[in-house]
Amino acid sequence: MTTLDHHASVRPVPNPSKSLITKLNMGTGLVVGVIFALATYYGLGGDSAGVFENYNRTLLATMFMWSIGFMVGIGAFIGPFRWLVGKDLTDEEQLYLAGDGQGIKRYFKYCTDHKVVGIQYMVGVMALLGVGGTMAMMIRTNLIQPGSKFVGPTIYNSLVGLHGITMIIAMIIVVTGPFGNFIMPIMIGAADMAFPRLNALSWWVLFTAIPVLCSAWFLGGIPTGWTAYAPLSIQAGPGMNAFIATIIIFAVSTAVAGANITATVVAMRAKGMKWNRVPIFVVGATMSVALAIPAFPTFMVSMIMTGLDRSYATTFFDANLGGSGWLYAHLFWIMGHPEVYVILIPGVAVLMEIAPVFVRKPLFSYNAAIAGFAGITGLSILVWAHHMYMSGWMPMLNGPFMVTTEMISVPTGLIFLVILGTLWRGRPWMKLPMLGVYAFLWNFLIGGITGLYLSDVPADNYLHGSMYVTAHFHYTLMGAALTGALAGLAYWFPKMTGRMLNERAGYISFWLVQIGFQVLFLGMFIAGAEGQPRRVADYSVNFATSDLISSIGAYMIGLGMIVLLWAVIHSWRHGKIAPMNPWGSKTLEWTVPYPVPLVNFDTPPVVTSDPYGYGKAGN
Amino acid sequence: MSGDTRFHVHHDAPIQVGRRERLGVRLLIVADGAFVFGMIFSYFYLRNLNANNGWIPEGGHTLSAMSGWVSVFPLIIAAITHRIAMKSGNAFKNIAPITFVVLLVGLYLQWKQLAHMPFQVDGEAEGEKIFGFEGAYASSWVLIAGANMFHYILGAFVALGVALRSRRNDLNAVLEFWRQRTVGSWLTWIAISGIACAITTSII
Amino acid sequence: MSDDHGLVEMEPTPGEKLAAIFKQREVRVATAWGVLVTAIFFVIGGWIYPSWMPTAMSTDMKSIERLIVIFTWISAPVCGIVLGFSIYTFLHRHKGDTPPADGPGFRTNSLVVGLWVIVSSALCLVAVVYGLIEMNSASAATAEHKKNAMVVEVTGSQWAWSFNYPEQGVQSHELMLPINRPVEFKIISVDVNHSFWPVQLGVKVDANRLQTTVIDTTPNKLGDIDVKCAELCGLYHAYMETSGKVMSADDFNTWVTAHQGGHTA
Repeated sequence: MTTLDHHASVRPVPNPSKSLITKLNMGTGLVVGVIFALATYYGLGGDSAGVFENYNRTLLATMFMWSIGFMVGIGAFIGPFRWLVGKDLTDEEQLYLAGDGQGIKRYFKYCTDHKVVGIQYMVGVMALLGVGGTMAMMIRTNLIQPGSKFVGPTIYNSLVGLHGITMIIAMIIVVTGPFGNFIMPIMIGAADMAFPRLNALSWWVLFTAIPVLCSAWFLGGIPTGWTAYAPLSIQAGPGMNAFIATIIIFAVSTAVAGANITATVVAMRAKGMKWNRVPIFVVGATMSVALAIPAFPTFMVSMIMTGLDRSYATTFFDANLGGSGWLYAHLFWIMGHPEVYVILIPGVAVLMEIAPVFVRKPLFSYNAAIAGFAGITGLSILVWAHHMYMSGWMPMLNGPFMVTTEMISVPTGLIFLVILGTLWRGRPWMKLPMLGVYAFLWNFLIGGITGLYLSDVPADNYLHGSMYVTAHFHYTLMGAALTGALAGLAYWFPKMTGRMLNERAGYISFWLVQIGFQVLFLGMFIAGAEGQPRRVADYSVNFATSDLISSIGAYMIGLGMIVLLWAVIHSWRHGKIAPMNPWGSKTLEWTVPYPVPLVNFDTPPVVTSDPYGYGKAGN
Repeated sequence: MSGDTRFHVHHDAPIQVGRRERLGVRLLIVADGAFVFGMIFSYFYLRNLNANNGWIPEGGHTLSAMSGWVSVFPLIIAAITHRIAMKSGNAFKNIAPITFVVLLVGLYLQWKQLAHMPFQVDGEAEGEKIFGFEGAYASSWVLIAGANMFHYILGAFVALGVALRSRRNDLNAVLEFWRQRTVGSWLTWIAISGIACAITTSII
Repeated sequence: MSDDHGLVEMEPTPGEKLAAIFKQREVRVATAWGVLVTAIFFVIGGWIYPSWMPTAMSTDMKSIERLIVIFTWISAPVCGIVLGFSIYTFLHRHKGDTPPADGPGFRTNSLVVGLWVIVSSALCLVAVVYGLIEMNSASAATAEHKKNAMVVEVTGSQWAWSFNYPEQGVQSHELMLPINRPVEFKIISVDVNHSFWPVQLGVKVDANRLQTTVIDTTPNKLGDIDVKCAELCGLYHAYMETSGKVMSADDFNTWVTAHQGGHTA
């Protein structure tokens, strides 16, 4: 693999000699993808296949062929094929792939520049959050009063599943996608990612999953929630195929992105950036994606089994023929619990990166931060069965899993210590990113404590499967991780767009979202404690007050997010031009101008200390 | 700023690039390892649970342990021939095609095995042919064989790649050596995973 | 060596260090905030959960209530520390469009980190041990009741619960239980997974497809029970609920006689 370098002199027009790659873009990808999909669909008999299994097989094949066709059409396989025959891409072709001198068009191509991929991810994440958020509004509208009057149970169940999986996918990539790709390589002083073509691959593969997921709407929806428990998922209608295909495609994207980011941080750090000088955001993001590498394949296994059960009548989850729904739950949560930390850790790491800059103090106990992340990462693979206390799979193992689960509170406590220690005796500069740190402290505190009840087997006897669980994980995933991601957006917006994020709109949005969030999930905690099961389209009158409170909070969040969306779009186009280093930070990404040059640095930087050298001399 | 800057491709030291690529492949092997772990875990979980005596239902078929091992031998041979080829230095280009052919043979064997599994239960519904599988044992077997097949395809691809590339003179020798090592990592891994799967399916 | 030894003796003991830390004004103010927050959480924790949760009608439900209250109390000092220090720093924030001057450059404090780890581990240990004790007493109760428990076979199907009383020869769609008699639920599903949740009894377990799971409890209070499904089970999951009653032994016998012979209620 090569990296791109540049020297001062005249820029030639890149002309990779009429190579095929110059003719391919998103448009050709769409065309070839649709052709592949239609050929597969009608080749296998279309919807004339009356039998459940055969129709499922047709749909699954169509979805995968769409994805493969799109990747063929956009040129993803040119590199591997040229490697196979030994005619590697020429320098000019590589420059072309990096999008050199192609302006806005490179965002619609198989572009290997990590900054382009970062922006692609950012727009993609915003779209996913928008769709998932709209679904959340519809869910809360349906629950505003008893009777399920807005959408009814069929659509409601689909909304719950699609909201869940859309948000989970969005949250997994919300930090490591935009910031992990755009910012992180600059932060470690690298010219690009370790494998630029894999970088483009990870984004475009993910992109092909989006229409697949959307197709679920037109195939009858996903009636299973995002957890897609078997045997409900085996019984479900054709929309379930969209879920299966989405997860398998997404797992490929995650593995590729995870390997790429990890290899970049391990092998491409600037000269002098020893492990104890790596910015904490980079450490957190790397641990998160490294944890995702072994976690997601088990989800993929469970989805392949679901797909086989549905389309080839295997019996993995059919208890009548030796299968078991418990097996599904195991495979799902062996992925699922590490996955929540895959979401959480990058968000926390962003806030740890932000806090020292705005308090003008060193990060408190870098080692404790690493120990916290490492402890969470390590323990997270030993706790999956706490989601299955009440499944009856093996009650005698509930005790051990309770112990490992509650042990996670110790490394989690270190995260609080690091942030509090950084704030202590400083005078926090209350810009938008810094407000996120405070919102995180409150939200994650509530999320953590409510997690303690749920980790306890006797208490879980009551709380499991209730709205209380829903409120708990929204506090951790949304209150903590999304808050971190939004703080990161406010923090890095100037570097990614060259403009400052509109502050007034940012504050309005922050307070609307955060207050609405407390209202929403306070109501939901009460509903759960009162005994309302989760994922219900309707409820009895005694939960009416708490559900009404929740819905009011939800609308506040919705309003706040619209304000934020306006702020992002408006500031991107008309915002105040940002100086090179608006926050006075000491990390490397603030030493490069906007627009960031193709290879990031004129001369490779040399690092002599960690980026937290704030504060008065001495200790 | 960047407007008047001339860009050109800068090549990192081949050894650096080679190491980086091998690290990337090893990380992907970790992912694949988790996948194989998931399959083996499922096999033993369902075997020990034996829900409603359905692991091998009454009258169900089983495959001999040898059937699992037959499709693994080519993987092991390929890993060894690749190693021999690398040790032989200049003769690499003559030995490497053997690795590729061995993998193709294995792929064929695996395909034949999958196509002739004894577990299928044929039937007809609404005028269409359908089929199902006997039970959890049969299902697990098919999944493991399928994963093995996927390993063969990727293995054959990279083996063909290094074989073809070794016949060209315009490529960087150091980098190509590292790429052969990287391919070696993959071939070794699929042999190990094949052995693990064969041990698994040997225990009925 | 001897010089080092002399220096070591000059080092203040951890106790003295701690005392020195608490002499600082900012530590005392932050601690005061922390104590206030702790007190608030302590008081609130004592009543909000019991006031939200429905009437406890079994010892299991009573112990869950107690456990949640005690866990809230354990968490109160954690909230106090985190929020107390957060509030203090928030009140001393810097306003304006330029960054504040650099703060003190300390990078860590091994005493604080050490104390933090020890205290959080201790709190974690208390929670673990308390949970294990509760689990243990529940298991002991199960073993004790095994002999004289009344068996109720619970079947979940899309989207209804049905109850079979083999001892009495009664089938019903409502869960009727005599007071103070241990009851053992044997739960199974005929289609997808459900979760059997008699809310006021404080027990719950999944109804798995064609696999039986068992839980037991002893109702100890007369009144109505809501039986719900706590696992998404398809279209009418929300409506998969039924009612029940804990009644006196006499009332229960009357109900049994009235429904014997396979009639469903």
